[in-house]
Amino acid sequence: MTARLELILGAVFAAVLIAIGLSLGDKAVIDVLMRLSIFSLLALSLNILVGYTGLVSFGHAMFFGFGAYVFGLLMQTNAISIPAAAAVTLLATCVWGAVSGALCIRLTEIYFSFLTLAFQMLLYSVIAGWVSLTGGDQGLMGGIPRPPFLGIDLAQPRQLFVLTVIVSVLSALAIRQIVQSPFGYALRMIRDNAERARFLGVPVQRYKLQAFVLSGIFGSLAGILMSLYVSGAYPNFAFWTLSGDAIIMIVLGGITVFLGPVLGAVLFQFLNDYINRITEHHGMVMGVVLLVIVLGLRKGVLDVLDEWRQSRKPRPEAAP
Amino acid sequence: MNFDALIDCFSASACVVTQISSGLIIGMLIFMVASGVTLIFGVLGVVNFAHGALYMLGAYFALTAYWVTDSFTVAVLAGAIGTGLFGVVFERLFISRVYGADVLSQLLVCYAFVLILDDAVKAIWGGDFLSMGMPEAFALPPLMIAGGFVPPFYAFLTAFAVASAIALAALLGLTRFGKIVRAAAVNRQMVGVLGINTSLVYALIFGLGAALAGAAGALAAPVRSATPGMGFDILIESFIVTVIGGMGSIAGAFVGAILIGMIRAFGTVGFPLATEGVTFAMMAVVLLVKPAGLFGKAGR
Amino acid sequence: MTARLTIDGLIRRFGGVVATDNVSMDFAPGSLSAIIGPNGAGKTTFFNLITGKLKPDAGTIKLDGVDIGGRPEADIVRMGIGRAFQVASIFPRFTVEESLTAAVLSHRRQTGSMFQRFPLPAATARAKEIMDLAGLSHAAATPSRFLSHGDQKLLDIALALALEPKVLLLDEPTAGMGPDERWKMIERVQLLWRQVGMTLVFIEHDMDIVFKIAQSIRVLRYGSVLAEGTAEEIRTNQAVIDAYLGTSLEEALA
Repeated sequence: MTARLELILGAVFAAVLIAIGLSLGDKAVIDVLMRLSIFSLLALSLNILVGYTGLVSFGHAMFFGFGAYVFGLLMQTNAISIPAAAAVTLLATCVWGAVSGALCIRLTEIYFSFLTLAFQMLLYSVIAGWVSLTGGDQGLMGGIPRPPFLGIDLAQPRQLFVLTVIVSVLSALAIRQIVQSPFGYALRMIRDNAERARFLGVPVQRYKLQAFVLSGIFGSLAGILMSLYVSGAYPNFAFWTLSGDAIIMIVLGGITVFLGPVLGAVLFQFLNDYINRITEHHGMVMGVVLLVIVLGLRKGVLDVLDEWRQSRKPRPEAAP
Repeated sequence: MNFDALIDCFSASACVVTQISSGLIIGMLIFMVASGVTLIFGVLGVVNFAHGALYMLGAYFALTAYWVTDSFTVAVLAGAIGTGLFGVVFERLFISRVYGADVLSQLLVCYAFVLILDDAVKAIWGGDFLSMGMPEAFALPPLMIAGGFVPPFYAFLTAFAVASAIALAALLGLTRFGKIVRAAAVNRQMVGVLGINTSLVYALIFGLGAALAGAAGALAAPVRSATPGMGFDILIESFIVTVIGGMGSIAGAFVGAILIGMIRAFGTVGFPLATEGVTFAMMAVVLLVKPAGLFGKAGR
Repeated sequence: MTARLTIDGLIRRFGGVVATDNVSMDFAPGSLSAIIGPNGAGKTTFFNLITGKLKPDAGTIKLDGVDIGGRPEADIVRMGIGRAFQVASIFPRFTVEESLTAAVLSHRRQTGSMFQRFPLPAATARAKEIMDLAGLSHAAATPSRFLSHGDQKLLDIALALALEPKVLLLDEPTAGMGPDERWKMIERVQLLWRQVGMTLVFIEHDMDIVFKIAQSIRVLRYGSVLAEGTAEEIRTNQAVIDAYLGTSLEEALA
């Protein structure tokens, strides 16, 4: 698929979402669509690492929480506009991503997963412990001011909804561009066989770090959108269960297909709501679902389709 | 930040003794969990993400046994043996299916059990904080050491953990079982060819690791309150300990755990907000200077 | 004629074992050499030292007069030493064409680009040339994990070729193949060597192959060089005969 076609499809998709949200005008519909946009972005950003680089981060919510808190705190100073605060937050994310990433990528496989998780819990404990700055368990106190900029007033739910959809779709297009670029294929080489990639001259460690930072930037952006949406930031944005949820999302939808995480985020939301409706034992049911996917299917929904498509590709007879 | 308080504490032996004793029990509990993580990893090559949940299970088993029998000895046995048996079943039915599988599958199977066990504990024992209280056998006046008070239970807990460390080292270093385990860690197939049931060895090792975590949970019951999800923090800490000490090294886990315990104990005096930060800084330094950990073999 | 690759006094120990014991040899530009020796003679270790996977304890490795000993793998690859592995090392989820295009991009230092789309046409064109050269064109669109064993080994070699190496090291190119497949493989290797004009060094256990195609043969034993020379010289070398046939020959005569 060419970049131009993707751009058109993205625009159409965004337009349809916005049209649905605005024409129904129902607050509940808008809420659901906003949540789905934000979590889709979170899942897509995580999949840069898991699906394309083969690095299973279990601490991705670190960036989500980081973005929400830094942005929220900046806005609470009342001295900065929304776009400027977002830009500063993403810059800070780059720095934090580079520092934590430089340590995390020194480990591979499951140690990498644990180290990302540990870093996330470091951030969480700072948020929960530094009450005078963050409000601790209660979350950022007093809400996040949303002053109008460039004629956009994000205090209006409908305008915030439109912006959230547009930012999410644009980010998805950007992520798509990254994973389809030569760099994206270099990440796939690392995922498939890091040793071989190294012997082909791919700077494996540097690319891993870049992927880590990029993934963090988009995760942080999702956090910024979330803090705008709820007009606040809460410690559970940076809690490990959200990282776990993000992993479940991408595994549900599939990690080998670009839109797998989006489908997964949607499935996860509905599954979550459904489980909550039928039982109070949410963890047990979700755990069993997870076991069925991992041990039964061994892959997500779109992975299954992709596998089938690949197996239909021509297989040559022995070389002539 | 209150470094004056820290300096004051260091100049008074009573304060030093008190903090060391509380640092020791923090460290010993972490060690018992971490030694299981590192043992299972060393032999099975799997990092058990559900190990904190096993610690939790041990605490709840112990609580129930204590309420029923009123005996702390039975409580510890129930925590260790009950969790150990659970570990064996867990390994046979689930973990054994993901040996050699990708990291994501291993992680997710364990994560599924974290969700299930946390929720199951909540369903069975309720979501509130439960407390065992100090068992009668330890309701004694505190020991006086160099002017500081040390609760007798603290001394018992430390002695118990040290004894299990020694027993573990002896089991792995001196017995035939230990020889088999060490050989299986290097080459499972070869050991299998020699006619040894490696599936059984794997299950036993997992069970042993689980029992250590269960015992830690039981020992924690008198000094900490039990709650669903209580295993998570200690899982993270024991992971940090194994990174510092070196994955697969029991001695490393021991040293690392004491280090973390001391930072936590003296941190509450001098830098309560920064204890986590200091712990992480230490891990970062180890990773940068000696990526395999203090006691780890290079090449990992 | 100056050598392309010069190894001098190379030593590598593992604990108390000397895996590479004072090895010196040179390889002329465009030569085709074989390295033989019994299992455990240190052949793969020797390759690992040249390619930077292992660091030598002593000695020098010079490529066109430049010392490369102990440098990182990626640098050595860039300087012109390519390698294929004993067990084919490929990218399972890439098709053959994608694998080679990615390798070409890496060679051209274009993998850092995030603003273009994979594949870049120029790289695909080059990848197709390499596919033709390696005889893999028929499998261009096949995911690598579905290739036959032989084609996977060919792809591994083709990946190394994408870097246009001055020196190509092949670790048992025919390992795990049946007799017919072996000869096909080795003919292909010989063809590649002629067409590309690189210096080729291969480790091989099949003596028929070695004595038929290698211009020069080096025999390693216990980590050190036992003999070197042409096929004829090696065939008549007393030390080699002793090493390979020694005891059994004496027993036969006894």
